[in-house]
Amino acid sequence: MTKEFNVLITGVGGQGVILMSELLGKSAVKDGLRVRGSEILGMAVRGGSVTSIIRIGDDVYGPLIPMGKCHALVAMEPSEALRNIAHLSKSSLVILNTAVTVPFTVSVGESSYPSLEEILGQLSKASGRIIQLDAVQIAQEAGSRLTTNIVMLGALFGTELPPIKVATIKESIRERFPAKAAPVNIKAFDLGYEACRQAL
Amino acid sequence: MKELTISSDAPGERLFVLGNEAIARGAIEAGVQVAAAYPGTPSSEILETLAGVAKELDMYAEWSTNEKVAFEVALAASICGVRAMASMKHVGVNVAHDPLITAGYIGAKGGLVLVSADDPWAWSSQNEQDNRYIALQGYIPVLEPSSVQEAKDMMADAFKLSEEFRHLFMLRSVTRIGHARSDIVLGEISKERRKGQFTKDRTWLVYTPREARINKPLMLERFEKIKKRVNTLVYNQLKLADGARLGIVACGLSYSYALEAVKWLGIEDKVSILKIGTPNPLPEELVIKLLKSVKEILVVEELDPFVELHVKAIAGEHNIPVKIHGKDLVPVVGELSTRKVTEAIARLTKSKLPVDFAQLDKLEQETAPLLPWRPPALCPGCSHRASHYAIRVASRRVARDRGQEVEPIYPGDIGCYSLAYNPPQEAVDTTICMGGSFGIANGLARVVDAPIVAHLGDSTFFHAGIPPLINAVYNKANITMVIMDNSATAMTGFQPHPGTGYTAMGDETVQLKPEDIAKACGVKFVEVVDPFDLKKATETIEKAIRFDGPAVVVSRRLCAMIEQREKRKRKEKVIPYYIDQDKCNTKCNACIELLGCPAITKEDGKTVIDSSLCTGCGICAQICPYKAIIEEKE
Repeated sequence: MTKEFNVLITGVGGQGVILMSELLGKSAVKDGLRVRGSEILGMAVRGGSVTSIIRIGDDVYGPLIPMGKCHALVAMEPSEALRNIAHLSKSSLVILNTAVTVPFTVSVGESSYPSLEEILGQLSKASGRIIQLDAVQIAQEAGSRLTTNIVMLGALFGTELPPIKVATIKESIRERFPAKAAPVNIKAFDLGYEACRQAL
Repeated sequence: MKELTISSDAPGERLFVLGNEAIARGAIEAGVQVAAAYPGTPSSEILETLAGVAKELDMYAEWSTNEKVAFEVALAASICGVRAMASMKHVGVNVAHDPLITAGYIGAKGGLVLVSADDPWAWSSQNEQDNRYIALQGYIPVLEPSSVQEAKDMMADAFKLSEEFRHLFMLRSVTRIGHARSDIVLGEISKERRKGQFTKDRTWLVYTPREARINKPLMLERFEKIKKRVNTLVYNQLKLADGARLGIVACGLSYSYALEAVKWLGIEDKVSILKIGTPNPLPEELVIKLLKSVKEILVVEELDPFVELHVKAIAGEHNIPVKIHGKDLVPVVGELSTRKVTEAIARLTKSKLPVDFAQLDKLEQETAPLLPWRPPALCPGCSHRASHYAIRVASRRVARDRGQEVEPIYPGDIGCYSLAYNPPQEAVDTTICMGGSFGIANGLARVVDAPIVAHLGDSTFFHAGIPPLINAVYNKANITMVIMDNSATAMTGFQPHPGTGYTAMGDETVQLKPEDIAKACGVKFVEVVDPFDLKKATETIEKAIRFDGPAVVVSRRLCAMIEQREKRKRKEKVIPYYIDQDKCNTKCNACIELLGCPAITKEDGKTVIDSSLCTGCGICAQICPYKAIIEEKE
């Protein structure tokens, strides 16, 4: 019997959110786990907010995480974490990439972007624990800012919450990227993992 | 070991897939030989998956010009004894509605399945219509899956059922099925390949009033048989709980929410549940059994009260005194969720809620004012941005000449370009349906004096833009029709269409040009422009608006996403632009306010270009009044 594990990944179109959930889902199946999930594609994703859900467990049926039952919220962008605040509970953990993507509505004065303090203050009302990473900087250390999503995936595994083996997710990462790009991504995963262990 | 894929004949193996891939897999297992579709979220990946393996599996898959044609292609194959399917988004079924209703009279020879991908909450659509009502009207039995696995299983079975009853079947998917992900257990792939045979049979296939009258009773007979059969179908399941007061009737995906809800409330042994996999027709015997065993019923279904209405009718007909709830407790708008279903059940069972939802709602409301608005936007380097800009400048020049009160009108259409309705462009005044821009323009021309510039994309033009274009010529409507040709069905994932020169299965074919079609239809003003030459494009559109009679401008430039992809393949470098801060008047903001390009932002009061997003299109440089936007040196 696998205990229910619900993870919500959120970010902005183009940040590789969907790839993260694909890697999680494929790896879960490799480890013999039952997976459910869903995402919104199409019109909503052109530069807009993206969320993807992965749920693992024997008693999981629906494609959506019931409100308040999210175990981990992985946010590629701070304000997008805030957008999903109602999924959190005191026992959920938030992993936050602190690098901001400002929407053009802010540039044209149609809306404003909250400060990181405001975001953290609000999130801490809902969640018991918040881990902050500058995932873009870590990705650059790994060799490419394109690996930011893999850094965040590594951080998720650093929490030791996912019921997936680290060896399995790494195998899926190696399979997903061309031989030349795989080592950079594995390094990004490891750096994200370590950054999270240190933050915990 | 060979890697497991969607076409692997590996019964019993588990594969992680997207719901739409599961639907395609079901069709593959059934040995489907002909599949046709027009792209539309959330249905596109079904045909994409099939087209990708069609040659390997000895089947045929096509992107049709529209849903009507797609359905007719499938119907023809079925008439000839071959298993066939058509897939489309919910509003696509409206386009196919005409042949669909008569297809009910025809039935099927080779298994025939229509996949309708409904979109509760209209995530990527203009409405959230419930296509079970179209099925009801057409006597089309509906299979509605509760999970991705069931979507696969139902799809495979739908072909068999269609042949068993010689009748057309519908699989109703929703966004959270088609775009859900799950592991599925694969079944065996049928290797049977049939040769199509057309048998001339006027009483069956030629619909004059006489045949309609002959075939309608036959259709009703088939439907009656299906009505009996659904009571024993595995997709309908009745689980009675001893002494249960409440019975839940849960249709399709709602069943998965209901299962989680009763577990969450800890009352799974205290309520009876009827799982509905065939909303049309309902398994009447199972419904009656449930109605007779409980005091109260809650019908759980997404969108309209379809099952609810029929359950109420059954209760009335059989005089069963039971209180039936449905849309009084479960929302009629939007998607359902475990939370919504939990609340409805908790109210009827007086259970304590497992989570303080009100508290979470409060937190969400309190958070809302902090959130920046992040609407979807045209990509950096998108040619539509330039086309919209040229249309606005040209039409305002003409309007200005006509007098102060005149405001140009921009009827829009379905595609990426509809994103320009957002600020700062606000360049779309109507979006109703495929091809609706030209149609609405025809009507506007009869009642207003403003310059009317309608626009649609290349794929939409082939789909539904040609009849209203001919109408404008025939009825002499003085409108300007801009075809924003980016050589792709971009919004749904870059599927090929008649203007691209290749087919769904990757074969080369003739490349149709919208300008040739416009000329052939009798349009006297037809020009092709490159929107990245803003000055020329604007002048041409202005001429088109001033032209007396219908005018067409094809604004052609490859989709920026495809362009970038191809550049990467060619190892060609993208040369971005930057803003010379010495020249820039930071208070001007013309580039930001007129173009709304995601690559241009404000940083500490300065206007800057994010070089990682900039594609080097140079549109901003063309409109900058201070000539402050400059191409980087290589």
